[in-house]
Amino acid sequence: MSLRNWLRSRLPRVWRRCNRESDVQRELEAHLELEAEEQRDSGVPVEEAPYGARRAFGNATIVQEDLREIWSAVWLERFARDMKYAARSLRKSPGFTLVAILTLALGIGANTAIFSAINALMLRPLPFTAADQLVRINSTENGVPITGFAYPGGPSLLDMRDFAQQSHSFEQMVLYDTWRKNVSFGDSLAEPEQMQVGLVPAAYFKALDIRPIMGRLFSEEERQEGKDHVAAISARLWKNRFSGDSAVLGRKIVINEESYTIVAVMPDVIPDWMEPGHVGPIEVWTPFPAAEVLPESSRGARGFGTLARIKPGVRLEQAQAELATIAAALAAAHPADTGVGVTLSRVSDARVGPLRPMLFLLMGAVGLILLIACVNLANLLLARNSARQRELGVRTALGAGRSGLIRQLLAETLLLSLIGGAVGVGLAWLGLASLARIHPEELPQLGSVGIDWRVLTFTLSVSLLTSLLFGLAPAFMGTRVNLVDALKQGGRSGTAGPGSQRLRNVLVATEMALSLMLLVGAGLLVRSILRLQGQSLGIRQDHLLRGQIYLPPVRYSDPGMITRFCDDFSARVRALPGVRDAAITTIYPPYNGWTQMLDIPGRPVDRIEDVPSAQFGVADYHFVKTLGIPLIRGRDFSESDGVNTPPVALISAEFQKRFFPAQDPIGRKLHVGPPQFLHIGPGEGVTDSADVTVIGVIGDFKNVGLALAPEPQITVLYSQHPLVNYGFKDILIRTASDPRVLLPEVRDQLHQLDADIPFSAVRTMDELVERQTGGQRFTTVLLILFAAAGLALAIVGIYGVISFLVAQRQQELAVRMALGASHANVLWLVLKQGLNMAIIGAALGLCGAFAAQKFTSGLLFGISPVDPLTFAGAPIFLLAVAAIACAIPGSRVLRIDPAQALRQD
Amino acid sequence: MPTIMTPKKSPNRAELLQGTLAMLILRTLLFGPAHGHQIAKHIQRTTDDVLQVEHGSLYPALHRMERKGWLAAKWEMAKDRNREFKYYRLTPAGKKQLVREESRWKQLATAVATVMRPAPGE
Repeated sequence: MSLRNWLRSRLPRVWRRCNRESDVQRELEAHLELEAEEQRDSGVPVEEAPYGARRAFGNATIVQEDLREIWSAVWLERFARDMKYAARSLRKSPGFTLVAILTLALGIGANTAIFSAINALMLRPLPFTAADQLVRINSTENGVPITGFAYPGGPSLLDMRDFAQQSHSFEQMVLYDTWRKNVSFGDSLAEPEQMQVGLVPAAYFKALDIRPIMGRLFSEEERQEGKDHVAAISARLWKNRFSGDSAVLGRKIVINEESYTIVAVMPDVIPDWMEPGHVGPIEVWTPFPAAEVLPESSRGARGFGTLARIKPGVRLEQAQAELATIAAALAAAHPADTGVGVTLSRVSDARVGPLRPMLFLLMGAVGLILLIACVNLANLLLARNSARQRELGVRTALGAGRSGLIRQLLAETLLLSLIGGAVGVGLAWLGLASLARIHPEELPQLGSVGIDWRVLTFTLSVSLLTSLLFGLAPAFMGTRVNLVDALKQGGRSGTAGPGSQRLRNVLVATEMALSLMLLVGAGLLVRSILRLQGQSLGIRQDHLLRGQIYLPPVRYSDPGMITRFCDDFSARVRALPGVRDAAITTIYPPYNGWTQMLDIPGRPVDRIEDVPSAQFGVADYHFVKTLGIPLIRGRDFSESDGVNTPPVALISAEFQKRFFPAQDPIGRKLHVGPPQFLHIGPGEGVTDSADVTVIGVIGDFKNVGLALAPEPQITVLYSQHPLVNYGFKDILIRTASDPRVLLPEVRDQLHQLDADIPFSAVRTMDELVERQTGGQRFTTVLLILFAAAGLALAIVGIYGVISFLVAQRQQELAVRMALGASHANVLWLVLKQGLNMAIIGAALGLCGAFAAQKFTSGLLFGISPVDPLTFAGAPIFLLAVAAIACAIPGSRVLRIDPAQALRQD
Repeated sequence: MPTIMTPKKSPNRAELLQGTLAMLILRTLLFGPAHGHQIAKHIQRTTDDVLQVEHGSLYPALHRMERKGWLAAKWEMAKDRNREFKYYRLTPAGKKQLVREESRWKQLATAVATVMRPAPGE
């Protein structure tokens, strides 16, 4: 509708309305004039006539009002009037109004924010056709999911080929891979960036049912070596780097210093979080190479990314069962597959991954907040209305109809809920904004969550229902019978009806119980995270910087070149002022992520599942010193250990305990790589087959995550092991002051050596640890906030009840004091009532917390879900706060002057 | 015209039964268009002042009936003086309503009369 039409349809109504007013005025005036004239004619004195006319007419104001009501949309005006009264009445008790609005806002805001986030994280469907049928196929080893680039990782190429040939449940089965590579665009001489590159067959996109915006999918031919230098880019990249150039197809991008031709632009529909292992968005894809012949020895090379589409009508369990049967047959047929099983998981389930239990906990917590808020609201309304019993009684006595009273209460409740709701929406918005700011890296999708209107509607209606229920209760209970009672009671401002008082006590106890549950939950998480972060990594954590480099094989084809580059680079960095030491390695806590099989002389094994393995990594001879790992026995690597001297290794204390329990390990030789009987030669899916001599034992450090005890670790020199001297390296820099300050200089040194190598993923060790605990901290911070909010609401509740009690019992207390009760006696009388509620609430809350332990148990580190300290501390804290909240209004009894109080009313 | 007596208050004044006023107005307008004052006077006059309408109460009734569509209203110059009045006239709907109300009234009056018939012993 155009504005003009709208005005045309609206204006006459308004105009007519003004017209109607003057019309009525005119009509009535004409009547009065005529009547006055007639009265004059019939002998009434001239000056008397107008009054006579008015007398005959009756009350003109009422008539006018009646007429207005006849013509106006009556209920709307009446509604506006009710609202006006309601606003006035609320303004008269600002304390109640403020607390009620805040309570509502908190309940609505917190719930809307959290549920919106959770809804977006867990419930929103994937943007693919029949996304329910998309699954990942993950391998397990002895029942434990294996790690690849993805966690959990998929099967090997050969196993996957056999799965595809023998199964009937799938439409599509895809194996792919992702790598961090150095990518640069066009002819720009800018520093290349490290980006996640997907190595995918065309079937990857077919399984997701994504078609290119322009260009074509990779062909089968392009999977062969030499023809595979083609790339697909995301639409985002196309817009940002090629300004949406319509002639982008055929242009080149450089990946690891090799040129690739762009053949497709893919739409931005793959969510950032979809890649397992949280590698982030993939914006460049190149073909997944297909080997002509797959050697049987590659059967053990697992850990790829997988994507499969189940046929319509086939259930996940059926597909799973079928694959499990095939996997069992493979395990029986091939030694490399011994103990290897398979599990299916829906792609959509991976979206929150390990944070799922935390989100459920948060959901429960925020639900408790809503409950507490509603209880508090009920409490507030009950208190207000029982205090107003007298006012309502007077109104009824003066002739206010029941419907009028209900209308008034309804208006107040509605107004309260509306304002509370509005503030709540504001809070929700703020909450989501701050969630986006503190969101953990595991939840990249949290950055773009908006308010979910269905959630808002739900929370609004729950709180509205509560306020209606308790806001209108007095209209139904109060107006019918209590008229006389209310006046009588109110006259002496006696106690409220025992029924409503009992109800309020129950409500406060409930609030106490619920907030204690939140307190316990928050306490447990705080203790857990303190333990997690407080534990020693096994290294000196402070003033340590880590950065990644990648030397592309095109220019660094020879391990000797890599060694030279690394040694040069670290030497240059060590020479920088402010640098204490620096080491180039692949190892740093808290995750190592590289496991090797071992062959230890004197420990013969003949079954693949018995082959010992350890965390493995390469380093230079500054490694131990730079990280500050204690040397327990033997010697550290030294400068003299080089290419021409026998390969040496450092083992961790745990390694010694596990593999050399009774002997001195120094000088022992062992083989890093699969044992002989597996017949896997070097280079075939195995990375190293070198004998090393143990020269020293170093302290354990965290190498499988913060939450787990260190696993055996073996460290060798990359200069002595060309087969594992890859281009992927990390530099660890120990600095004298803030390590961040040195960053530009380190980067500068790197680029003096090679301007095309990006320096990426730069983090301090403190940040790395924080990232590890990001999810927990996120949950903990939120839960602390919730517990604080819940506690605040409960405190408001108990404070309100006690102050109400003091006001109501003032006379009774005065009588007691007049009869000789001491101040302390009277104070205790009041406090006792509050503490009773708190104690009952706390007891109930403890039971609740105990019952809820299964929600927290999976999230805790190092403490029991019924941690005695928390279970004792939280109720004590709650009771202390409750006592203070009771004491403040309770102390008012001390100020009661019996003489004055008794004279009142 | 039938009246209801309220003897205690004023023997010669009657209060209108609810709903009766509308019927009286409709009936009055059967003779032709009239403005509010004329209607009031007409009801007063034709009932020999027994049925005295408080003039004010007439207007809400008139407007309600106008809103319901029983009456149509128009500002017109009075014939006998130089002044505009709001004249009301019956609409067809109003005429039908009058028939309905009259028959209802007759039923009521008969019923009341039956009850009030002098008892045999009186």
